[in-house]
Amino acid sequence: MANQTLPAKPAERQQVSFWYRYKLGRALLYFVLTFGAIVALTPFVYMLLGSLLTRGEMLNRKLFPRDPIAGLQNYVQAWNEANFNEYFINSIQITTITIVGMLIVCVLAAYAFARVKFPGREAIFGIFLATMMIPETILLIPNFLIVNRLDKMMKPVLPWLNNWPSLTIPFMASVFAIFLMRQFFTQIPDELWDAARIDGAGHVRFMVQVVLPLSKAVLFTVIIFQFIGSWNALVWPLVVTSKPDWRPIAVGLYSFISEAGPELQLMLAGAVITTAPVLILYFFTQKQFTEGIATTGLKG
Amino acid sequence: MAQHTTVYGSQGRMSGAKKRAIREATTGYLFIAPATILLTVFGLFPLIYAVYISLHRWRIKKGPFLGLKNYTKALGAPKDILWFVIGIAFLIGSWYLWKSMTRERRNWAMAAKFLAVIVFIVGAWGAFTGLGKMVESGDQKMFEAFVVTIFYAVGIVPMQLGLALLLAVMLYQKIKGKDWYRMVYFMPYVTITVASAGVFRAIFSRRPESIANQIVGWLGIEPQKWLQEPHGIWELVFGHFGINLKEVFNNMGVDSFVAFILAGPSLALLSIMLYNLWVFVGYNSVIFLAGLGAIPSDLYEAAEIDGANRWHIFRHVTLPLLSPTIYFLTIITVMGVFKAINHVLVMREPAAQGTVDTASLYIFDQFYLSTRFGYASAIAMILFLVILTLTFVQNRIAQRRVFYG
Repeated sequence: MANQTLPAKPAERQQVSFWYRYKLGRALLYFVLTFGAIVALTPFVYMLLGSLLTRGEMLNRKLFPRDPIAGLQNYVQAWNEANFNEYFINSIQITTITIVGMLIVCVLAAYAFARVKFPGREAIFGIFLATMMIPETILLIPNFLIVNRLDKMMKPVLPWLNNWPSLTIPFMASVFAIFLMRQFFTQIPDELWDAARIDGAGHVRFMVQVVLPLSKAVLFTVIIFQFIGSWNALVWPLVVTSKPDWRPIAVGLYSFISEAGPELQLMLAGAVITTAPVLILYFFTQKQFTEGIATTGLKG
Repeated sequence: MAQHTTVYGSQGRMSGAKKRAIREATTGYLFIAPATILLTVFGLFPLIYAVYISLHRWRIKKGPFLGLKNYTKALGAPKDILWFVIGIAFLIGSWYLWKSMTRERRNWAMAAKFLAVIVFIVGAWGAFTGLGKMVESGDQKMFEAFVVTIFYAVGIVPMQLGLALLLAVMLYQKIKGKDWYRMVYFMPYVTITVASAGVFRAIFSRRPESIANQIVGWLGIEPQKWLQEPHGIWELVFGHFGINLKEVFNNMGVDSFVAFILAGPSLALLSIMLYNLWVFVGYNSVIFLAGLGAIPSDLYEAAEIDGANRWHIFRHVTLPLLSPTIYFLTIITVMGVFKAINHVLVMREPAAQGTVDTASLYIFDQFYLSTRFGYASAIAMILFLVILTLTFVQNRIAQRRVFYG
């Protein structure tokens, strides 16, 4: 018996110290991760709390609202003062049109680049990818002039400025979306295509009935990206709209911030209103969301 | 001859396949037509058009042809630019000379190395004085905007990637609530830029009870002006010890542009960089996490069998295999800084006196506020050239450092 316990002793001691080290490491791990989470969340908490303060509380430098229900009035006031009603509808319209158009244009192109053989395919795709390297800042001025010209040319039929075409059509050819979808479409096994051809299906039918149902995940990723992109757009809508008629919500909030000045609680309420739709969408879809973004990083 | 006969002989049979190939090609072209038209009109043609605009006086309406005058207005007198370019060429030449001589063992290699050093000194002097004269005769505000952009990029890349990698490695361990952490870290990236930038405007307010001032208060630092502080951080640090850096520079006769650089990024710019950090660290760590997941686990096992400790495994297995991800994120981040407009537009205060205006924002101001379309386009083209050069350099470095396992 004694013989057996003796050699076990050092090992036991080692195990204890290892366990101790392990636990300490764990604790440190959770501490750092939680600290990071707090840093990430603080601005959101501040935004929510601040948006519920009354004017007096804000002036008296309070952090916590005494009566949050009464603070909800800030939202009503911000909504009315900043004209969010109109901007909200505008943004929904712009986003919807862009997404529908983008899907049609980009699915077709991605499918062709992935599964249709035509001369110059790789070269054209290379040029497509190269356009991603051009920063928007450089395209801003010429595109503004081009849209102006299109506006003059098509005025009687379809004016571009202060109207949906200038806000949506230039974004329908998203190289990023084409790239992602092409990546996905090429992975669909050739046997499916062979089988479809034997059944007499052409490219259009194969695309609509076989490829698209299989590609829900990538379509979803692409739609979410476009949604955020459209909801976020500031500079371009600022340039091509001069009236509130078609201004999206980001521009609305921007002008509200520049005007609201001291009324901080209203500004924060406006920020909550603007960002809520995207955050809600994110909470419901966050798994596909982060995975979609993770894959874009890997492939890039 | 034999080849000919087979071709002729099979023509009857081939025509069916040929017809199909033509139909296939037509389908392809039809499918990419909408995207191609849109990209040509709004993506490629504008690039050429921008060059055309930049060669004219163009204030809302097109004016007379100016040639390169917009460019010289921005960059300075041609002879100064030439001075600068020759200096840079000397620098590159000396580098190549030095590199080619390090492998050489002969006697004259020493002399050539000596020559390389001289060329380097001459080149550095030429580039430096050339740049100084360019700033003098050109648009100093534009040069300052580029300096701001460089401050921003150089400051943000290591901090952002380092923090993101740390978080990703920690999240990669076996941890409870991993999905929750990931979700929270990612929230800033999803938030609408104007909204979150607006919130940060309040956080970095100069009021003593603002969050930023409370935090530095815990560290025993007096309230700062944050987004309204145009003074550089070195200036503030030295000022804390009672040294007025601006006066020192003045007494030394330092040129105002050099003084701008030496003062460091303004506290206002630093605040914007912190905002940038808050937005992107989570996004970067999610991408790092995916990169970590792609590393095959047998490599770790092999390293462990070889007796490597954790740090060795990280240094010699994880890091090299993550290098493509690091490269990708570096490019994305630098590009992001060069494109940065939206959040800077929201967060900039007049009191910051233009110390936060990035190159892109300066172009936007020239275009949108001052309606100098031609001049703004010229600066945009300069920015484009800078970005192309940077991408080229990054590519060259990546070729040697990035390991695609």
